[in-house]
Amino acid sequence: MTHETTAAAASAATADDVLLKVDGLVKHFPVKSSKLIQTEREYVHAVEHVSLEVRRGETLGLVGETGCGKSTLARCVARLYPVTAGRIWFDGREITNLPPRKMRPLRRDIQMIFQDPYGSLNPRRRVGSIIGDPFSIHRTARGEDRRRKVQHLMELVGLNPEHYNRFPAEFSGGQRQRIGVARALAFSPKLIICDEPVSALDVSIQAQILNLLSDLQRELGLTYVFIAHDLSVVRHVSDRVAVMYLGRIVEQAPAEEMWGHPRHPYTDALLSAVPLPDPEHASQRERIILAGDVPSPIHPPSGCRFHPRCPKARQTCVTDEPELITRLGDRADHLAACHYPVADGEDISLSKPAIAEDQRVVESGLIAGA
Amino acid sequence: MTYDIQAVGESQDAAEPTDVTAAVAQKQIEGKSPWVLALRRLRRDRAAMICLGVIILIVACAVGAPIFAEITGHGNMQQFPNIGRDAAGQPVGPNGTFWLGTDTLGRDLLVRIAYGARISLFVGVVATAVTVVGGTIIGLAAGYFGGAVDSILARFMDWLLAVPFLLFAISLFSVAVVHPIFGIIGPGLPIVIIVLGFFGWASVGRLVRGQVLSIKEKEYIEAARALGAGPWRIMLVDILPNLLAPLIVYSTLLIPATIVGEATLSFLGVGVQPPTADWGQMISDASTIFLYGPWWYLLFPSIALLITTLAFNIFGDGVRDAFDPRGDLYV
Repeated sequence: MTHETTAAAASAATADDVLLKVDGLVKHFPVKSSKLIQTEREYVHAVEHVSLEVRRGETLGLVGETGCGKSTLARCVARLYPVTAGRIWFDGREITNLPPRKMRPLRRDIQMIFQDPYGSLNPRRRVGSIIGDPFSIHRTARGEDRRRKVQHLMELVGLNPEHYNRFPAEFSGGQRQRIGVARALAFSPKLIICDEPVSALDVSIQAQILNLLSDLQRELGLTYVFIAHDLSVVRHVSDRVAVMYLGRIVEQAPAEEMWGHPRHPYTDALLSAVPLPDPEHASQRERIILAGDVPSPIHPPSGCRFHPRCPKARQTCVTDEPELITRLGDRADHLAACHYPVADGEDISLSKPAIAEDQRVVESGLIAGA
Repeated sequence: MTYDIQAVGESQDAAEPTDVTAAVAQKQIEGKSPWVLALRRLRRDRAAMICLGVIILIVACAVGAPIFAEITGHGNMQQFPNIGRDAAGQPVGPNGTFWLGTDTLGRDLLVRIAYGARISLFVGVVATAVTVVGGTIIGLAAGYFGGAVDSILARFMDWLLAVPFLLFAISLFSVAVVHPIFGIIGPGLPIVIIVLGFFGWASVGRLVRGQVLSIKEKEYIEAARALGAGPWRIMLVDILPNLLAPLIVYSTLLIPATIVGEATLSFLGVGVQPPTADWGQMISDASTIFLYGPWWYLLFPSIALLITTLAFNIFGDGVRDAFDPRGDLYV
């Protein structure tokens, strides 16, 4: 795997343009075993050799099923989790193993918006002190000055600044998410990682928060990494989209390109699951139903990790790991990790895997027998 | 409970003020803190309020113990060999001079019970404070840092909880008295507080550790870390406020247990030593002569101990209902 070359190929932009660069990021979590004496430690392979770049001012959408490692990737980038391997650059500076003291000033520039508007606000603290947290942590403003700044932020995200002294419990889900946004905006960060910021909200409220985020991006020149599992949301907000499956990026392309020409069978299957507003269209479309469940990330499948569920799987997919490169003569910024990419107009629901069920290797530990 | 829901409902209505009501709403814009709501619930708990009254009364008796001495004209340690004992040398029963009778040495029981309240309350509050502060610090460290720190501290707490408290306390006393190196450390108030605190903090530590383990996984802790907050700030600003409710509940229920613990130690002779007035010691002394007639000597200190622990226990139940209406805490 030559991640550097693929990542370089993906960026037609100059180095100055790149705000965040991730190269070969790996994150494993040790599995706690109930055995008294551990002979062999097992690991959850949450993120495996992920490389990507985020340019200034753009929104990179990150999609995938629950458990595919999107949130882990985001938390590694925000340096909330230590990284197992790989490197992360932010604003031209490597931050992979920066000690907490040196990381602290950089935290102003990397902020996060969390999924759960109920869990991400401390129920025992007043909203004013929650939003004012960044100022008191970095000791930049106090007292009256801090209150004014907090109220300005509240106004910016559409909250009534007079509600400064209320508790989170006194706000609705959408308002709470606005509080979370206000907190993230305190220092006008360069990068905001949105970890499924709207998936816990009503559809009508979702639109409000999405519009708020895009308004703020325009006004403040923000860069977003936007994680979601709702494809229509991602298409709406993203400039570029990366699709993740079992800890790996399987396809990466500008949003419209991705929707127009999905190359990876997994992307194709995901897109076919998006509800269409026009019932006539919807009935004409063939839904691709994937067989089986997502395999365990403790023993990920060999070769292409998608092969046990892929309708196009062949022997190569079991043995060789596909690289994330340009396929089928696509534009340079459209990458797919698939040996047998989906051609335009191809209906993969008609395909049958060329290998028998028992030849598929679900657990990499068993590959010796295959 | 209903008033609580109402209160939240009212404030939510005010959350979307129109321009017309904005001026009116400005005054009530401050949200009611969980503390204010809990205190309001507590105030409406009649049993708890009666018990609080009783507790205040007991505290007044303890503080005003010299007043009892003044009124009766009998000192705390003053012995009345002639009027305080009958012809056979036994204590005299309640009468006009000694309202609650006398003890074996002819001392006024009423005055000594009032002075005994000082010891009980002092030990109850101070030993509980030591227990709770120590347990909180250690539980917080164990729960937050996890890993090896947690393993060591948690195993130590398990060990401590497994040690039979009374056996240990009694043997500690005998060791302390005869120890050749440390000299003669007699039993007394400081030893009682140290022993009660040492054996008490582990249960608080376990409670705190469990709470911290669940709070630590909350997204708002992750949010604080993403903002650059250090471990101290996270523990003090983000976690501790969430622990205060269970700690207040636990403390109020721990006070009566500590008072009984102190009385037990004194009853066994390893607590507060004579001639200091102490309820447990009085009960112990009375129990040896109870069968020969002086029922008052056993009855009145026992009633004092009973009323005190009962009042604290019922008040503690009220505090728990007020601070934890959903019954999340199993203390």
